[in-house]
Amino acid sequence: MMRRIELAPLLRETVSTPYSDLVTRSTGAALRDRIEQTINGASYRTIQLDFTAVGVIDFSCADEVVAKLLLRASEGEDSYVLLSGVTELHLEAIDHVLERHGLSVAAFPVGDGAPRVLGATSPDLAVAFQAVQKHGAGDAKRLADAVGWTVERAADALQSLALRRLILAAGGTYRPLPLPADA
Amino acid sequence: MRVIDLPPSLEDKTLDQLAESIAGWPPEPFILDGRAATWANPSGFVALLSLGDALRDASLPRPRFLIPDSPETRSYWARNGFFHHAAETWEVVGKVPNKPFETPTDVLLPITPIRVFDDVNDVVGKIQERAQRILAAEVNLAPQATVRFVMTLSEVCQNIVEHAGASGWVTVQTYNWKKRLGRKVAVIAVSDSGIGFRRSLESTESKKVGERWGDGAAVELALMHNVSRYRDPGRGQGLYHIRSYVTRWQGKMSVRSGTARITIVPAWDDDTLLVEHLPFFPGSQVQIIIPAQEEGSAS
Repeated sequence: MMRRIELAPLLRETVSTPYSDLVTRSTGAALRDRIEQTINGASYRTIQLDFTAVGVIDFSCADEVVAKLLLRASEGEDSYVLLSGVTELHLEAIDHVLERHGLSVAAFPVGDGAPRVLGATSPDLAVAFQAVQKHGAGDAKRLADAVGWTVERAADALQSLALRRLILAAGGTYRPLPLPADA
Repeated sequence: MRVIDLPPSLEDKTLDQLAESIAGWPPEPFILDGRAATWANPSGFVALLSLGDALRDASLPRPRFLIPDSPETRSYWARNGFFHHAAETWEVVGKVPNKPFETPTDVLLPITPIRVFDDVNDVVGKIQERAQRILAAEVNLAPQATVRFVMTLSEVCQNIVEHAGASGWVTVQTYNWKKRLGRKVAVIAVSDSGIGFRRSLESTESKKVGERWGDGAAVELALMHNVSRYRDPGRGQGLYHIRSYVTRWQGKMSVRSGTARITIVPAWDDDTLLVEHLPFFPGSQVQIIIPAQEEGSAS
């Protein structure tokens, strides 16, 4: 079950600002608290952070909202986070803070752009992630055939993606995270 | 009562002359004579306001400030809000033009106090439309660089609230540096009256550094090595991001704290990387200069 959290309205409920920019560590911490209150006790498997209508996000706020939320999510056994509504205004800060923590997240840009991995990644992970998004569920052999790798290399990449919670794994098969709910 | 002359042209370097005249901290009471002043850059304005804050915070008598004689200078300093803010901590002496606040066209962000995090939210929200328009049109910054400019402003203002332990000031302005650089520049100037980098990092870093510990070593750790007093690995990144932005856009950045100044020096400038044993000035002052990008440069 997925829970979509629209950050722009939640920001205005959380701090007294007429703006939609995610800036300052204090704002980020307050917003993360609100997000955690929203999802605590509920059985959402996937949390969708929707950046639609969010202006600028700075590094400190990205660290508090995205990186720390991912760190918390990684403590749970079967919980996932994905980002939607992401624009050029958001990419750099999120990418950098996640890399700093060794974390990754799947980000769905505004419009029809292809999803991408932000944060810690590698060329193999990026290729495997895109292939799973394009070809859908399958196993290592299917990925290996699709991208021209050995099965072992494909299996390694898929396992890494699953450990980073960028794809879902079950019984030796892998599939993409559910598509984000529309705004 | 001793009288200290304000340098006729007040900017980041002539601030050292002012600091020398103040002669240590806490200073003997003084009158600041600005009658001969004809110009101040953004760093000069915010540093003077921080000096007033620091004198107040040290419970020293409210100092007198004799305003410039030049009508043009008075008019500009009134329009950009300097006299209005200065009156909070200085006894402003002289006839201040009685004109309504009117932000000069070259000012992206008027002189603005930073006291709490909400002030940073306001600064970022207010500057964006103006920044995107002016930085794109006059400084030829690509949209992505304008976003980074705003992020940089946010991070540098947050440093005041998080680390200084006191209030501060920020202003953003564009200049035509025709003689010096042949281009326009955008300048962010930030100053606070707080504890400075050395005291902020002292408890966690001084023993590690040993004999070299001081204002210069503290600024170097924060600016060049991303060191923060917090253990959280996500901390200490603000100045790092600012530095990387400045470097990428061939900008110049200087950080003065206490008795030291470190400057990120671009190819177009010949400033000194590290200057120590400067006369003490309270708090910390940060100046960021982003020059207009030449056609076809990085975007």
